[in-house]
Amino acid sequence: MNSTLQDSIERQITVRAPKERVFQAISDPEQIVKWFPDAVEGSLDLGSRPYFDFGSYGKVQVFVEAVEPNDYFAYRWLTGCDEVPGGYTGDVNDLANTLVEFRLEDTPDGTLVRLKESGFASLPADRAERALKDNSGGWDSMMSRLETYLAQG
Amino acid sequence: MAVPELFRALGDPIRLEMVQRLSDGAPCTIGAVSAGLGITRQGARKHLQVLADAKIVFLEAHGRDVLVQLDPSGLDRAKQYISDLQLRWDRRLEALQRYLEDG
Repeated sequence: MNSTLQDSIERQITVRAPKERVFQAISDPEQIVKWFPDAVEGSLDLGSRPYFDFGSYGKVQVFVEAVEPNDYFAYRWLTGCDEVPGGYTGDVNDLANTLVEFRLEDTPDGTLVRLKESGFASLPADRAERALKDNSGGWDSMMSRLETYLAQG
Repeated sequence: MAVPELFRALGDPIRLEMVQRLSDGAPCTIGAVSAGLGITRQGARKHLQVLADAKIVFLEAHGRDVLVQLDPSGLDRAKQYISDLQLRWDRRLEALQRYLEDG
């Protein structure tokens, strides 16, 4: 068994619209619902924890990690939760999560939207750090052992 | 969907502790994997079934006992999930493009 887990994925698309409009489409709760979740509860301001509602699949909390108007928008979530019936409504930062980043660049044709989701391979380390901080035990040593186990394959 | 299932299955302190006890790869009895966790044998079986459903562990009858072992297919499923995720993000970005160009 191959021992490594890819840490991130990157996709991109060029949209015939100015950066300002693209930024609104990804960071305004009233616009993001036009192409992504069915509904958003709460704001998408920096540091907020809105819920993305994916209808029959349920809701998931996201944590808005960075907002740089017209250039960059990033949030943390539980990857894949938009396709899991029931969703997850606990605190997103209580579980291992991934970082979703949108970077916008001007191009002659409009705006290049670069999407990156990362943290797949570092899920264990992130969670271990929190577990140590929370002094709750369990995760830290479990995850390091799990990593070792998976690496040995 | 491997990764969300992993999250959900591992998002419990008792199940995490069980996985930790199994992490050297050696099979364990239900008694050994649940000792000192303050749960009944019935409770232990329920937790182990969640881990088995998420393909994190195997459960194997062994005489009157059940042996529990980590399932190495978990990582393979996580990898498959990541490659599927690329297609899903492509679909989402195309939806963004349609909204901005046609909306």
